[in-house]
Amino acid sequence: MAISDVAEYMHLTDEQVEELGRELDKIREEVEASRGADDAAYINKMIKVQRGLATAGRLTLMLTPHSRKTRIPGAVAGAALLGVAKILENMEIGHNVMHGQWDWMNDPEIHSSNWEWDTAQPAEQWKHSHNYIHHQFTNVLGYDNDIGYGILRMAREQKWNPANLGQPVYNALLATLFQWGVALHDLDVERIRKREKDPQEMKRQLRQILRKGRNQILKDYIVYPALSGPQWRTTITANATANLTRNLWAYTIIFCGHFPDGAMHFTEEEIEDETRAEWYLRQILGAANFEGGPLLHILSGNLGFQIEHHLFPDLPSNRYADISVRVKELCAQYDIPYTIGPLHKQYGQALRTIMKLSLPNRFTTSNKPPQPPTRPDSVEAPPVDKGRKSDAERPPRRSELGGWSRQQRAS
Amino acid sequence: MLRGLSRAVDPVSAPFAWEAGADGRRELVGARVTQCALSRICGACAESLGRPIAFVGDDLEVARNAFHAPPLHESCAEGLAETEPSWRVVRTAAFEFVRPTKDDLDRRPTFQPSALI
Repeated sequence: MAISDVAEYMHLTDEQVEELGRELDKIREEVEASRGADDAAYINKMIKVQRGLATAGRLTLMLTPHSRKTRIPGAVAGAALLGVAKILENMEIGHNVMHGQWDWMNDPEIHSSNWEWDTAQPAEQWKHSHNYIHHQFTNVLGYDNDIGYGILRMAREQKWNPANLGQPVYNALLATLFQWGVALHDLDVERIRKREKDPQEMKRQLRQILRKGRNQILKDYIVYPALSGPQWRTTITANATANLTRNLWAYTIIFCGHFPDGAMHFTEEEIEDETRAEWYLRQILGAANFEGGPLLHILSGNLGFQIEHHLFPDLPSNRYADISVRVKELCAQYDIPYTIGPLHKQYGQALRTIMKLSLPNRFTTSNKPPQPPTRPDSVEAPPVDKGRKSDAERPPRRSELGGWSRQQRAS
Repeated sequence: MLRGLSRAVDPVSAPFAWEAGADGRRELVGARVTQCALSRICGACAESLGRPIAFVGDDLEVARNAFHAPPLHESCAEGLAETEPSWRVVRTAAFEFVRPTKDDLDRRPTFQPSALI
């Protein structure tokens, strides 16, 4: 059931919510004040390691296939090295750099304005669909396209359609071809289906995607295989395996971020005139973490700390582990659920939701946390379309000084 | 049209993040300001930001290091500043997007450059 007012849902007073907000602001200020050489060293080392792995992978695939003895072990090693390199580049480096986490260094390369990542989606479109749409409207039904990516029904409030019966298949295809699914994400499939997408904008985006996608295909399936000479088939297979590995891994990590049972959905009423503290609260309630050691967290782009990432998307990812200790304490203090579990359990819950919601609601029960009967909003929210509303469809926000719809507090 | 707008965008005469208000003066559109902040696009031309990032604001905004206008390209900022005598241009490598708290009378978010150049 979707939440329309986070403070009311959590039985928190306005003052408690703002107090929580101030505590989280303090965390932000402390991290910002302490950013420095150690953090810069971290990301520079990460990039060095990633490029080393990619180079090692490419060289292995160029040099080993010419002998029968080394062909298979070389292909396996090369694919593994390249797969890990692609995972690191997409998850820990590209995604985080594009959030502006490292802009403070004023590095000419490691900056959100420059970074073009090693996947088919153009960085510009990722920054729109992910940084803006997903992070601004996190888990708000009808707004956040990541609730199902336009092809999966992931909330009971989303209208069921007979096409949803196929979603176990769509899910498998999405996982396998995740790079291409992400590439098309900002096109907004739902708006195209409803013929609401501006054709000029779509053409512009498609041109960008085709250019980027072509370059990705050229790199992995033409240029590098050609450098292997007669054994180009081995290299193509290894490169495809590396891409598949990255696809499956990225899909799994991303699906653990907001689909486990504890991650809540919200209605559009929640975001109207949302304060900073309420935004923080929605991020905590709408995200889910998973447990793991440092290596798992690095390979996941530190998205095992999805809650902390959503609270502070532009703070350096290497800080999320430390921040999470304090966020957890705050959640305990204010009795706010902090959704966390082992990776396999979080993904298992996401998969169960995909299977269940392929059927109409009457055939299944919800796995979301039970709603206390005294909650004023404990009724089923009306069903919402999957598609995101355009600016023209959303109520305009008042931009003038001092104007807001809630009762003004005395200073 | 660019970014789903139903009109053309010109960085000086019809900047992306502004629309004419009831009195004919330019006003910032809240949703587009947020879009610029998070998508990291220029509030004037709506293209991806470059380096450095620039902000325009009056003396008070410069003194507070808190701007209402969204991030801009340096050249777009200079173009806009020419249309508004009270505006100055500030350059930075990074910024924070600060959402309003409940107690803020001004409900507009602000941009706080965090690596001034």
